[in-house]
Amino acid sequence: MHSVLKPPSPKLANKPASTTSFEAQGRRRMFRADLLAVGLWSSLAISVALWLADGGASSIGTVGDAVTAAGIVAGLVGMDLVLVMLLLAARIPLIDATVGHDRALEFHRRLGKPSLYLLLAHGVLVAIGYGMAEGLDPVSESIALWTLVPDMWLAFVSLALFIGIVLTSLVIVRRRFPYEFWYCVHLLTYLAVATSIPHQFSVGGLFAEGTWQRWYWMALCVATGAALIWYRVVTPLRATFRHQLTVHGVVPEAPGVVSIVMDGLHVDRLTGHGGRFFIWRFLAPGLWWHAHPFSMSAEPRPTSPPGVGQIRITVRNLGKGSAALASLKPGTKVAVEGPYGLFSSAARTRRRLVLIGAGIGITPLRALLESTPFSPGDATVILRGGSPDELYLGREIMALCEARGATLYHLTGPRSRRQQATAAKSPTAGGHPGANGTVARDAAGWLPAEAADAGYRLVDYAPDLADADIYICGPSAWTRHVIADAKSSGAKDEQIHNERFDW
Amino acid sequence: MRFRAGVSAAIASTGILIAGWQYGLHVSDSNASITTTAAGTNGNASSNGAAAGGAGNGGAGNGGSGNSGSGNSGAGNSGSGSSGSGSTSGSASAGASAKAGGTYQGSVVTTRFGSVQVQVTVKAGTITDVTALKLTDDDRKSVQISNRAAPLLRSEVLAAQSADVQTISGATVTSEAYLTSLQAALDAANF
Repeated sequence: MHSVLKPPSPKLANKPASTTSFEAQGRRRMFRADLLAVGLWSSLAISVALWLADGGASSIGTVGDAVTAAGIVAGLVGMDLVLVMLLLAARIPLIDATVGHDRALEFHRRLGKPSLYLLLAHGVLVAIGYGMAEGLDPVSESIALWTLVPDMWLAFVSLALFIGIVLTSLVIVRRRFPYEFWYCVHLLTYLAVATSIPHQFSVGGLFAEGTWQRWYWMALCVATGAALIWYRVVTPLRATFRHQLTVHGVVPEAPGVVSIVMDGLHVDRLTGHGGRFFIWRFLAPGLWWHAHPFSMSAEPRPTSPPGVGQIRITVRNLGKGSAALASLKPGTKVAVEGPYGLFSSAARTRRRLVLIGAGIGITPLRALLESTPFSPGDATVILRGGSPDELYLGREIMALCEARGATLYHLTGPRSRRQQATAAKSPTAGGHPGANGTVARDAAGWLPAEAADAGYRLVDYAPDLADADIYICGPSAWTRHVIADAKSSGAKDEQIHNERFDW
Repeated sequence: MRFRAGVSAAIASTGILIAGWQYGLHVSDSNASITTTAAGTNGNASSNGAAAGGAGNGGAGNGGSGNSGSGNSGAGNSGSGSSGSGSTSGSASAGASAKAGGTYQGSVVTTRFGSVQVQVTVKAGTITDVTALKLTDDDRKSVQISNRAAPLLRSEVLAAQSADVQTISGATVTSEAYLTSLQAALDAANF
């Protein structure tokens, strides 16, 4: 086998001193997360407060005024939320290192519909409010606004775009179209935001020239745009040119699973301490427009001459795009964005460690196991697969566990079919949201049937889990079961680290 | 941790909102007082905007109240002796040419935020002054926008010596009405 089966680099193994600082690192990260939450709510409050500071509330005299005012506030908060969404998708390192790329995007998705509702409310309420002031019905008022007031037609276009974008992002709609279609429609967001801005500054009295409200909103828009351009365009381009990655070779690992080894410059500096997943683009005909999010399956490995090194990902044949990767030719250039995510030492909060992976989700654990600091005896590794063949990179992981003193479990076999029966046995144990009765069933669901029926739980494999960092990587349903099990044994949210890829 | 974030966010947001609200009260108080003093001096609500704008602008000292005496009717008729202002337009007959100079009122332009009318003073072929007789004042917001836009438009017009100037962003509707009325006044002056 060509791939990187070798003991961990002595440099990394020699720094378990940093394990003592994991608690401080965790506290700092929690503090940053709190700060971001406060910042989010404050930005919403500021958008309303600036309107109040302009005397917004005291100008309300009639019902029409009140409706107009509600419309204006809805528009302001909606705009703020749209900017927050853009910032969440901007891959800003602070956000990524605090909550992780996947959670930032999850939150981004959750804000989609509220923002749309606010913008819709803005349009409808302002039309009604103005209409009441002039004795027109909302429809005539909208037409009058469209035709008579400059820049307003752009605002209508913007609203239509926002509706389209949210509709195509709904899960049900999205499944019917290829990812690329959704992606292109999503690019229209920038157009939607751009077309919404003129009417805010020309028609909106709040943003009138000479007011500091105007400066605040302008600064916010400009900063958001700058962050997007910098972190989504400039930084990836720089990384691509700096590291000059090319495909070294494609190595079969198991049926349908290949490792892609790439050569590059300064690969050790590509990753640092932070995230371990990148968005890859293989610049070959028919492939270049397809962006693949994959984690490294081994730490970057220096080769000779100095400054040159190898980096590896392991991929299962999931979709059309992934299948084509198996036939990549050596020498293909690779564009890279990243690293992103928190599935790394940066998320550690404890000295002890539990790594749990299923199927292709095992491969990111392989890289983590190689690099993250721990003392012998402090780590437990649990690999889950339908059969021993599906414990991808299992031999490399076993070698690493031997070298570093980690406990390794292989759990293979089909899932339990008798989960319902165990559900009745143990009532509410943990803080899993949803129906209490499902906790026990969920908790055993990740195990093979034999182990589940024998009454085993995660805590039986990793007795220290209540005081350990738990890294989970696998299909989302399976991951939910593991999280439920971990929580029922006393693990807190801050200890559980999982990254979602199947979206 | 979650709890700490929630409490901090609630406190911060509440503080920001209260600060904004308090500031807003203060703003609307001062605005109201401007409006009432202006209304008190000349008893003509329509010139509030101009009066307040003039105050902010500190310009030509022609005192909107002097020129826009409520007795004005028809074009080319100025108010009676304005109080100590430089621009005593004296009497000008209707239809006088721009050379002769005089004071001319533009048409009343109605907008969704109120109606707008301006008066222009022409002397020896140059526009020496523009006074707003009536500005968009449907609500406090419009008054505020008008107060800000009027002095800017006035100085732009005086510099350009025509109604062909840029509108003020954030006050587009007011600007367009202002310039339309101004053009009508200039037409009346054969300017």
